[in-house]
This record gives sequence, structure tokens and C-alpha cells, in this order.
Amino acid sequence: MPNIRYANMSHWKTIPYKQIDNFREFYYEDKTNTAYYSDWDTILKYQSALGFNGIEIAPWDLADLVPLFGSAENFAAFAKDRGVEVIGMFHGAHASHDPAHYDEAIRAGREAVDTIAKFGGQYMNTCPTQNYCGTGPLSREEVQQCAKVMNEIGAYATDHGIKIGLHNEFFCAINLPNHRELIESTDPKLVHYCIDTAQIAIMGEDLCTFYSDYHDRISTFHLKDTASAGQPDSVRYAQDPEITDDGKRWFWEPGMGQLDLKGLYRLLKKHEFKGWMSVEYDGSPDLLASMALTRHYLDNELRPIYD
Amino acid sequence: MNTEAIAISLDLINRHYQEPNRNRYESRYFWEELYPLIAAAGFSTIEMPYEPVWQFGGRTGVPFNEYCVNAKYENAANYRAFLKDNGIEAVTGITFDPNLFMRNDEIDFFFGATGHFGSQALSHAAEMGADYLAISPSAYYGRVAQYHPDIDNRMEEFAERTIKMLGTLAEKAGELGVTLVLRNEYWSLFAGERIIPIADALQDGVKLDVDTASLFVGGISPESFIASNIARIGSVHLTDTDFVDKGETWKTPNPEFPSGQATQVYRDPGTGSVDLAGIAGLLDRLDYNGPVICSARQTRDPFRALLRTRALLKTLSI
Repeated sequence: MPNIRYANMSHWKTIPYKQIDNFREFYYEDKTNTAYYSDWDTILKYQSALGFNGIEIAPWDLADLVPLFGSAENFAAFAKDRGVEVIGMFHGAHASHDPAHYDEAIRAGREAVDTIAKFGGQYMNTCPTQNYCGTGPLSREEVQQCAKVMNEIGAYATDHGIKIGLHNEFFCAINLPNHRELIESTDPKLVHYCIDTAQIAIMGEDLCTFYSDYHDRISTFHLKDTASAGQPDSVRYAQDPEITDDGKRWFWEPGMGQLDLKGLYRLLKKHEFKGWMSVEYDGSPDLLASMALTRHYLDNELRPIYD
Repeated sequence: MNTEAIAISLDLINRHYQEPNRNRYESRYFWEELYPLIAAAGFSTIEMPYEPVWQFGGRTGVPFNEYCVNAKYENAANYRAFLKDNGIEAVTGITFDPNLFMRNDEIDFFFGATGHFGSQALSHAAEMGADYLAISPSAYYGRVAQYHPDIDNRMEEFAERTIKMLGTLAEKAGELGVTLVLRNEYWSLFAGERIIPIADALQDGVKLDVDTASLFVGGISPESFIASNIARIGSVHLTDTDFVDKGETWKTPNPEFPSGQATQVYRDPGTGSVDLAGIAGLLDRLDYNGPVICSARQTRDPFRALLRTRALLKTLSI
């Protein structure tokens, strides 16, 4: 068993079919590449063929995904038959800084944990609040309230065999001034951390320094590259900055940006990281191409350092 | 038929389903490049979906709700002026469907969220100067059945709740001067002629929408439906299809993408089996002069669909 196993955070948007059994007929319907991107059977085969044996579910897909398969358990079995296991799900802990939304945030967090358990997953990568714009800056009390919610959800998750990992976005209300304060305000036994390599770099953290400082808290990763580290407040605090007006990409395939991912892998080796790592391609114009490029970079540049 | 007045629905941009580079649909630049192309294809009026999901997702580049419009253009008036500068003279109508809210077994959540966001959609329609809000009164039957497996025994309850919710929306629509029209997709709890009792229970100002493809798939002649209900028709969607529902696809969780078949429900106007020319002629003979919209929903090539639709309409021009 390798030290690191690789998964994909699912950014396929809505996949309308379980399985296309009549692929040739489908192709001749319009003679485009639509069929290649329309069913879970094919998507999971891409993953399996490229050595991504895990998938992290996106919560915004559940409304379509669950009825399509009938249940979370059915999807997990379908994926497993194709060599892919569900490792977890992303979760947005909306309004967790606000005491008035405490019950709602806890309830939503517990429901997400229950959902992950049905999929057979192990991780819940959890964004601790919503966007900075309209919410930030957070007071010291609001950061502590957020930590309280994370601890509570973390306790429930731990009891159900699931690790929650804080997952910070560069545009979140928890931002550079209080990022580390939140981590250090949570219980290390209950709340872990998922490093989204590009998000924290854009926010202003140095990737390798951050990992060195918090290596014992890291549950998993969202691995991706960026060429836009250290964005100013005016960008991070803007309204909905993730999708840019002009099509600028924040996120790139590993090796296509400027992050010191080789330095990170040397640190992973030093600290003997073991576990799952999700690769994330949000913003990619072609997820299959991104997946193949990532596999090439992993095999030729990163895995020789540590795997 | 005056084809110059026919609107094109922006549902031809498939925001939800995967294809390479679908992400570009979430950026402002994509839409702002699209408007002149719509005008170049001969359409000066559009219909827009109202989709709260883009508000939740923080993707304000998609101009499909008031939050996004306000985020990018400050207000609806600025956005309308921008559209006009790019050859789009008017937003004819807004569409709204509640599938997003059928996600658990809490019926109060479904009707509460549908009513709340349907009301927002009405306000948005008024601000956009739209003639109508076309609302789907039901989520997919199959999606309802996922969370309410006893739905066949609870139709009366769902119908009562639907009428109550729509009645509130109709009241607001009347105040705003927007016509509320009811869609009757073939996958709905109130498909085809089952929409009639719902409409009968509502205020007189509530009208019916005609979706020609959906009626066709449901085994109802669009011509007969139009002729029987012409006095209460508030909008007509000229949609096309080649789909035949042989296996009760309408009851499945994702009926817009029939499992096991390559053919989607909708095809680009003019490439399916619906006699759109005959329907246009019938509307003329019946002196229908309400909104007419072409929809290339589910198209696999929106830019080709725009031109295919224009090519069809040229054959209808007198």
C-alpha cells in the first residue's frame, strides 16, 4: 500500500446518466463528445484508469445524484465495482460564526456526517463560514463561535468514524487575519485540517511553512496549483471572487502553476504523511485532460519524492 | 406569424450538465459575449430562467436571479439597458421550476422554498419588465417519489398545497402586472391536462403555458390542446422532440435524460417531429397574439441551436 492514495474531488457538475449502454447510438445522435462526459460509469472508468481510486462527493450534486442511484449506498457500490471508493464529502458550514445560527449549523453538519457515513466515506472537508464579503471582518467572539461549532460537529463526526478537516477558501470570512486563530481554537482531537494548497496560498499563507507548522493536524489535501498566490484584500474580500468576470483561472493542474509542490512532498516525506489526497480541478475547462496531466506530474515529479 | 416578435429562451445554455468547458457559463464574459450573438441570430427578445442556485453558489456571472443581476449591474434597470445596448430589446418572460427544492422528505420545506423563491422570481420578472412568469408547479414526479414514495396516494394533498402556494403567487403577480402561467411538463405531477383543475382553482388571471414538445411526449396533440384552451393560454413555447416515452420515463428521477436512450427529450427546434409550422399557423388562425418563445433546452450546441432556430423561423415567415 502506498503512503498516499489519490482521489478526485468531484467537479463534474451534474452527470445525467448512470450508465450509457448504447454508446455508439449515443454518439451518432449528434456526433459530438457528449457521450464521453454524460454517465457515471464512464467518469469512474477515467478515474480508475488514471489511478484515482477515490472520489470526494460534492454536496451540491446530492439532489441529483441520490435520486439517480436511489441511495448513497447504491452509488458507493456502483463506484466500488469500477475500482473507486467514496472517501468523503465537502461541506459548507454556513453561518457557523453566528450564535443565532448555532442549531442550524450543527444540524446541517450532523446531516452531512450522516450522509458521508451512508456513502462509506471517512472525511468531511469543512469550510468554516461563508464568503468574507457581506460577513467579514469577524470579531474575536465570532471566530470563537465558529470554533465552537467546528468542535461540536467534529465530536459528532469522530463518534461516527469520520474526520472533519477545516478547509479554507481564499475568499472566506475566516481569512488571513484569523485563519490560524481558528485552527488553534479548535480541539485537535476532534477537528483536523484539509490543506487546499492553492486556496491557502492565494489567501496569503506560504504552503510549505503552513504545512510545517500544522503537519500534525492535517487529515487530507485538496491538491492543486496556482499562479496567483498572495492576493490582496481587495480581491479576497470582493463579492464572489472565485468565478472571475474575465475567465481568469485561480487554479491550475499540479505543475502548471507556481506553488512549491516538490517542497511540499519533501515535507510530506519528512513527516511521513499517510492517507488520501484529493486532487481538485475546479475551474478546469477539461476535467479529463486535467486528470491525465495530473497523473503524469504525480508519477514523474512528485511521487518519486515521496509516495 | 410575426417571427420577429418570437423570443429565444436562454435555457439553451445548459448550466447544470457536464461538458468540456462548461465552467465558462459561470463567468460574466461568456454572457456578455452571448447577447450580441443572440441579436445577430435575429432575436431581439429573450426569456430567462430564474435559478436561485447561482445565488447560493456565489456564481454571480450567471444572470439568472436578482442577486446576480444586482451584483454585476447594481440593479435591473442597468442590466436591461446593457441588454438593449447589445441588441436585446426586452425580456419577454422568466421561468421558474422547483426541482432544486425537492431534496428531502419535508413537504413544508419544498412548498416553503418554492413559494419563497417563486415570489422572488415574480419580483425579478416585474423588474425586468417581463410579461409573464412561467412556473412549473411540480418537481419531477420521479424526484418527488424518491422522497415521498407514497405520492400516488397523496396527490390530493400535493394538489391542495400547490394550489395554495400558487394562489399566493398569483395574487402577487396581479399586483405586479405580471401574468402567472403554469407549465405542464410531461414529467410533472400535473402533466398535460392534469394542469387544468389546478388552473381552474386559481384566480382568473392565471394562464396556461403551452410546451409543444412536452404535450407531444405526453401523448397529447399540441394542436388540440391549443384549440381547446386558446382563451386561457398565456405563453407558447415552440419546443421540439423526437422522444417517445415507451417505458414510463416520466416517472424516473431524471426524466429529461431518458435512461437507455440516446435521444433526449428536447431537440433543437426544427430537428424533431413536432409540427411547429402547423402550430404556428394554428396560433395565427386563432388570433393568438401573446408571447411565443423558442426553446432549445438540452441542446448539445447552443450556437448551432440559435441558428437552427432562426432557420426554422425563416420558414414560418410570411
